[in-house]
Amino acid sequence: MEIGNLLRGSPDGIDVRGPGVLCSFDVFGVTINLTETVVISWGIILVVALLLNWITKDMKTKDISKKQVVAEWIVSTVYGLVDDTMGKHWHNFAPYIGALFTFSITGSLVSMLGLRSVTADFNAPLTWALVTFVLIHGTNIKTHGIGGYLKGYIDPVPVMLPINILSELATPVSMSLRHFGNVVSGMVITSLLYFALSAVTKSIGVAFMTIGIPAVASLYFDLFSGFMQAFVFIMLTMAYISNADGRNEE
Amino acid sequence: MNLDFLTIDVGTILFTLINTLIIFLVFKFLLFKRVDAILEQRKQEVNATYKKADDALASANSDKEKYASAMASAKEEASQIISRAEKNAQRQGEEILTQARQEALAVREKASFETEREKVQAREELQGEISDLAVELAQKIMEKEINKADHQRLIDEFLDEMTSEGEQA
Repeated sequence: MEIGNLLRGSPDGIDVRGPGVLCSFDVFGVTINLTETVVISWGIILVVALLLNWITKDMKTKDISKKQVVAEWIVSTVYGLVDDTMGKHWHNFAPYIGALFTFSITGSLVSMLGLRSVTADFNAPLTWALVTFVLIHGTNIKTHGIGGYLKGYIDPVPVMLPINILSELATPVSMSLRHFGNVVSGMVITSLLYFALSAVTKSIGVAFMTIGIPAVASLYFDLFSGFMQAFVFIMLTMAYISNADGRNEE
Repeated sequence: MNLDFLTIDVGTILFTLINTLIIFLVFKFLLFKRVDAILEQRKQEVNATYKKADDALASANSDKEKYASAMASAKEEASQIISRAEKNAQRQGEEILTQARQEALAVREKASFETEREKVQAREELQGEISDLAVELAQKIMEKEINKADHQRLIDEFLDEMTSEGEQA
């Protein structure tokens, strides 16, 4: 009976749903939903802001505190990463990369607090991918001029035009779907694991199975995967944008 | 109520865009600007410290050179003074010696001159006395009628007188 449940799903259901909608209102005929994702993001912003404000408080030039060491390490690491990947003239881009990485990784890691991952909502990585998309094309137009930008689509031969357009459109789609897919698959697998283990527990009658194994799984799916996807996302963003920047070619 | 598992929701995209902008501003103004400011301040302090150290080193070096040259000139001066003093001493010694020699020579010359003069004087006196005695003798011979024996005795007396006077002179 329990094994049968495992195979075809529980009567309680394996609960894999989209983000909950807290309230929704119409603006000019468009339904705007205030979802779980957005509210959790606000919580993340608040915590991150308080944390950053705390570690950068009372900074000194000598006899520095441990939190200042951490703050300086974060800043210099992000600057180093951006300078190495994108070149010195993208130095001021570092705060966005730091913010994106932090938002992405904390958005994935909130699942460890029992909340729904922000990045398990396709709209979040899609938004970031769209920002990256706009930055790619903005940079391209800025450095090559509108003519050079358009000429890039028929390069090296005009037949390549549809392929080039597709490849440009594929960039944000692949970026956002990769991030979303990894996080959400982790979420689904974790749910399945919980369900299967509780089924085993029910059949054995001892509750030890649900204690150790999910923690190990969570270590991989939440911590490692969350870190990995955030890193991949910022690396791709930097690579695409600096690739669109003609100044890096010489 | 939940959204579908995979759905594109305009509201969530708008909110996430705003949230991303906010978290970007939070990073920029609460972390990067502040840390940049403190790093810049530290850089300036370090530069100022280095400059101060360089200045101190330069002034120390110039002082050292000044002292070294002062020491060298002092040594030179000292050796000049010493050599001058030596020369002076030598010269003075020589002068004194020469003077002493000259004086000694003068004294000796004077002494021999005196002796000579006294000798001449004595001789003159002696001759005067001899002539006086001769005159006296002649008078005596004239005054007295004498025999040969007296004559002999007179001459002997005279000779004795002469001899004793010559010895006295």
